Amino acid sequence: MPSIVQVGAGSGGMVVLDLASRDERVTRITLIEPDEYKARNVARHYFGGEAVGMPKARLAAAWLQNVRPDLDVQVLQLDLTAADAQPAIENAIQSADLGVCAVDNEPAKYHWDALMRKHAKPWTLGEVLSGGIGGFIHWFVPDGPCYGCVASFLQREVTVDKPATPDYSQPGGVVAEVTVPASKTSIHAIASLHAQLTLQLLEHGMAGENKGFDPGFTSLLFTLASVPDVFEEAYRPHRLRIARSAECLICRPPPLSSSEDLDVALDQALARLGHA
Amino acid sequence: MGLLDSEAGKRRLLSVEVPVIERYNVGRDPEFRIRMVRQGCNLVLCYRLMPTHNPYDLETRLYSSYPMVPPETRVLTPLRHCPHLLEGQTLCLWRQGSTRTTSRWDPAKFTAVFAIQAAWRWLACYELWHETGEWPLPEAK
Repeated sequence: MPSIVQVGAGSGGMVVLDLASRDERVTRITLIEPDEYKARNVARHYFGGEAVGMPKARLAAAWLQNVRPDLDVQVLQLDLTAADAQPAIENAIQSADLGVCAVDNEPAKYHWDALMRKHAKPWTLGEVLSGGIGGFIHWFVPDGPCYGCVASFLQREVTVDKPATPDYSQPGGVVAEVTVPASKTSIHAIASLHAQLTLQLLEHGMAGENKGFDPGFTSLLFTLASVPDVFEEAYRPHRLRIARSAECLICRPPPLSSSEDLDVALDQALARLGHA
Repeated sequence: MGLLDSEAGKRRLLSVEVPVIERYNVGRDPEFRIRMVRQGCNLVLCYRLMPTHNPYDLETRLYSSYPMVPPETRVLTPLRHCPHLLEGQTLCLWRQGSTRTTSRWDPAKFTAVFAIQAAWRWLACYELWHETGEWPLPEAK
């Protein structure tokens, strides 16, 4: 019976959860989300001001149960990257058919990718661009390109932002990163595409055919606005086929060693290089 | 989940970072070799560079979330006033920014030795800037 494990129940993640739960073929959703609902979330989220201060995971679970009382909803109020959370998270991943990543920070995406590869699970990722000018959806399967392969390609080949040149002329100057919040409509547009892709991949997997899935891209960039020097046209899909990179330092196979061997080898390496 | 306490981190160190560091050190004068020291849950690479006539001592810090978070390099040798230099003589190498679009660091392609080579390039620019008043990398402007 198809089950999904999702990390992230923010404004985009909640959309994916809601839409995925409405597909009656989905029988179980496990949600990993450690955060509390904040006042600044209200403008773009499903829940009102009365929910401020409550765990997002609990709010999401209640929402899903209301939509589908028969749905098995499990929540893990855990930080995805916390060391002591790994056993529970890996257990949840192991028992799911497909993963959904709805987080917005890079270390978490890489960590999710590593977990999905470790447990040989297909997964999807949705990303809304700063200002809501568009977004990406991606799908990943075991033995396909990893998130490192995709991120590396996109960093080199695809322009989605033209930030103002920082002033580097003064010593000690720190340039604050500026991310413009996306509107709720742009978040919903991209997250809906993310949900659609997720359900299609899940359906494909249910047919026992993970390897044949081909929606016409590995990553889709969908523009929602025309932006000078960035996007010529609004509402234009860019279908990208990104192959697994043989040089990728994230997914190229490491030498086979047991955990104990790794510790011994690392201690030896540190001893050698400490006295180089 | 850290560089030194996760299986993925240890494998990255052993299969990628340690080999490139050891290759870098081959045939190099001892004072210019990279030393790698553990500091808590981080690793610190200590080394010396000399792009032209002046030697500089540096350290590059691999934090617990490396390589997803770029390494941080600072020059220990006192530097004069210059651009692209952050607090504590930390080098501005990757553009600030923690998102994929605002950072130049690529964990799928770059290693700690790449960071050291970037530091070498920075120091060469620093010396040229003091002679000419022009930072020679146009993409850094």
